[in-house]
Amino acid sequence: MNQTETAPSPPVSSAFESDRLLTWFVMGFLLVLLVFFMLYPVYDICKLSFFRQGIFTFKNYITYFTHPRMFRSFTNSLYVSIVTTGITTVLAFFFAYGLTRTTIRGKEIFYTISTFPLIAPSIIQGLALILLFGRNGLITRYLLHTDWNIYGATGIIVAECLYCFPNALFILYTTLSAVDTRLDEAAQSLGASALKTFYKVTLPSAKYGIASAAALVFNLTITDFGVPVVIGGNYNVLATEIYQQVIGMQRFDLGATISVILLIPSVGAFLLNYYLTKKSYALISGQARPFLQPSRPFKRWAFTLYCWIPSAFILIVFASVFAGSFVKTWPYDFSLTLKHYDFPSLGGYGPIWTQFWASLLKGEWQSIIAYKYAPIWNSFWVSILVAMGGASLTLLTGYIIEKKKPRGNQILYILSVLPAAIPGTVLGLGYILAFNKPYFFIYGTFWIIIINITIANFTLGVLSSIANLKQIDQSIEEAAVSLGAGVVTTFQRVVFPLVKTAFISNMTFFFMRAMTTVSAVIFLVSAKVKLAAIEIIFLDIDGRTASANAMCTILILIVVAMLVTMRLITGKSGLKGMSVST
Amino acid sequence: MKPERSKGRLPREGHKMGRNLRLENLTKQFGILTAVDHVNLEVEEGEFLCFLGPSGCGKTTVLRMITGFETVTGGRILFDGRVINDLLPQKREFGIVFQSYALFPNMTVEENIAFGLKVRKLPKKAIEDRVDQMLDLTGLRDWRKLYPPQLSGGQQQRVALVRALAPNPQVLLLDEPLSALDAKIRVRLRAEVKRLQQELKKTMIYVTHDQEEALSIADRVVVMERGKFRQVGKPIDIYKFPNSSFVADFVGTSNFFKGEWNEDWVNIGKRQFKVWQKEGSSARTEVLLAVRPEKIEVFKSGELPKGLEPSNLLPGRIDVVTFLGAAVRLVINVEGEEVISDVIEKEFDQKQLRQGEEVLLYFPPEAFTVYPTQKGSS
Repeated sequence: MNQTETAPSPPVSSAFESDRLLTWFVMGFLLVLLVFFMLYPVYDICKLSFFRQGIFTFKNYITYFTHPRMFRSFTNSLYVSIVTTGITTVLAFFFAYGLTRTTIRGKEIFYTISTFPLIAPSIIQGLALILLFGRNGLITRYLLHTDWNIYGATGIIVAECLYCFPNALFILYTTLSAVDTRLDEAAQSLGASALKTFYKVTLPSAKYGIASAAALVFNLTITDFGVPVVIGGNYNVLATEIYQQVIGMQRFDLGATISVILLIPSVGAFLLNYYLTKKSYALISGQARPFLQPSRPFKRWAFTLYCWIPSAFILIVFASVFAGSFVKTWPYDFSLTLKHYDFPSLGGYGPIWTQFWASLLKGEWQSIIAYKYAPIWNSFWVSILVAMGGASLTLLTGYIIEKKKPRGNQILYILSVLPAAIPGTVLGLGYILAFNKPYFFIYGTFWIIIINITIANFTLGVLSSIANLKQIDQSIEEAAVSLGAGVVTTFQRVVFPLVKTAFISNMTFFFMRAMTTVSAVIFLVSAKVKLAAIEIIFLDIDGRTASANAMCTILILIVVAMLVTMRLITGKSGLKGMSVST
Repeated sequence: MKPERSKGRLPREGHKMGRNLRLENLTKQFGILTAVDHVNLEVEEGEFLCFLGPSGCGKTTVLRMITGFETVTGGRILFDGRVINDLLPQKREFGIVFQSYALFPNMTVEENIAFGLKVRKLPKKAIEDRVDQMLDLTGLRDWRKLYPPQLSGGQQQRVALVRALAPNPQVLLLDEPLSALDAKIRVRLRAEVKRLQQELKKTMIYVTHDQEEALSIADRVVVMERGKFRQVGKPIDIYKFPNSSFVADFVGTSNFFKGEWNEDWVNIGKRQFKVWQKEGSSARTEVLLAVRPEKIEVFKSGELPKGLEPSNLLPGRIDVVTFLGAAVRLVINVEGEEVISDVIEKEFDQKQLRQGEEVLLYFPPEAFTVYPTQKGSS
């Protein structure tokens, strides 16, 4: 620095620029994608809720808060979400405790069962509860002969607890297995009782994990649409009220207003969860976990029994929907039948796979496979495309953020993490407002659904890609470059093979989400463009509950088949770490 | 400025003489921090050059600028007379060996070695031959089908070495390649790198913080401190004639005394040392005297030979004895100050030097190096 002579500083190197051009181009593309398909729809919602004939006004909000029936959706949503959050967090915590801190048997089984709700749409919980506790419920009507039924708040809470259980469990399981158990042992060796150790050591060390699980459950519950729509009855919540206003009353302005109101707790819970996850990871030590001391027989029995309760509930849910699809008239006539699998003609024409089957098959088979099962084929192909597109885009995004680090990569990071904060219903409505214009030729086609699902699930894909790319040493890429490989070759031959397993598991995640998602796409389906998960709701609303069960069963079987395939390809279980948590 | 890379062909070995690498006023600025500060150097073809310095001195940054992974903020890098500042790393034809080996874990040993050749789209036969040649070079033939995690650290680094050599790079750059290995393997591999360099006559630039490694391996050593080249020279010259107290201290061990220069004498406190220096200044100036431990002679009282300069004899007591193998290091307390002296093991035995023993230290007048005192020197 002390030399005054100015060395001829070279101009910004052009060759380096051309190399970076590709990075910039890809980042630009991703930014445009996220801005256009995420921010722009949300912006349109905000605009519609605050402006009337171009004038800024709070009129919509005043209308909402002064209409007792509408306003009730707000308090209702808060009520079910808070109660669900409390119950699920506590249930999942002790379940996770049993799996990580005791020596009960069958941990693998418990863990596997607890992941089941992830492979089905959230509606399945509602369908099962109706079969058991509905107006014609097996238990309420058939066994107890009571007029009480589960519709309303109780049903929503029970169903949401089941739906959110695996998501909360994943976080708590990670937290509890990461916290050093030697702390517990140290406390006990110092003379603390087991209970005191739990309160003074175990709980405090898991506090961020617990809070983060609670925030996630709150977010999932308040944004869920599937459960309240099938089991809510007249009990309206924010997500269903948006749908009601828009589709039922054609009041887009009120729908947009409620969307903005729903965004506040949802974004809040998301930010809290995000912040707490970071904190919680900071606490996780890389220490090797010492051998787990055998639990006392009483503790073992108590936790085994305890773990069976949620497990049994989950099994019963799946068993009842499965059984409900095969019996003649639940709960009066249990003779077996396949007639519910003969769906009413759901329409559906146009897609190439429909035409393909129609040309290939004749008569009865043609009408079933090509037309009646059209929504299932739609869901399948949409999910395949979402899986490929979502996994590729999120890997690319992760690569840019983690490895290339161009200027502005933080903006890309924030935008790709944001989708998890936006409720599906809100994003769906935003798509109507933003893209229901003649010049958006993708509107009303499968493409908009594919884009919507990909964007809505972008967050987890990107976060898991980043986590996997982090494990690749920077010098490995530099080695490839120094050996003469360009950016593209390095990515193809070196980076991608190293993240292939993670890529495939990301594909599975996107596939699963696309097969089971309801809330976002409910606004985007039409008479022409139908999806299986949405048809479950419509069948149920039409009173064809058994057919809804049948559709749900088929959907689950497809997801399971995909999981098994992926497991065979990668040799790894496809479900671990696949919760929607961030 | 077209890269001279031809597809499907490797540059021929020793194809043209005199492909020198030149650094001109090379500077790297990270924000307000100057990591590399206007350095100049010419590396000749076939030379083995070592960058030596404490961590954070900028040696790796110089290397990364040469490789192209770090942009240059000032000055120029020239190779074979061409400015290569703007050349992409993958076009520079420089091989790199990393501290962390950086082998591709998804490829076998031979696939790793073949990578640079496949990227250049060489014919299959040529690739096979070159890979075989490389495997033989380091005796890796038996491991060709193994994956990197199945190899030991030393084996992995050998693979990394020949992988970098396979495309016949113009220059091989090694970034602390042996730092992650055990002491024994480090010494063995060091010899192997040296042997390869002499066999292939490849220009190699080697970065290390290990002075023993640098001195034993390099034709020329560049000692770096705080972004500057402090001394450039042959290992023996660096060791014997360090040009600053920093180099004297960093390379090898030195005993330092602060004093005042006065003709052939240096006053240190109440004492005077006779010092023979080739070029001496007559003015009375503050100086720093440095003397290597092996230059100090240790005697028991009564065993003194004749003809010693009496003023350069100091009494002391042996405080610590450390066995180094061929030599024994003594820490001797001289009037409350620690002086380090190395004696060869044979002498240590003959003289029966033991801990707690009172001894006489002799500092030969020609053993001193005199440096003007400057800020920051010890």
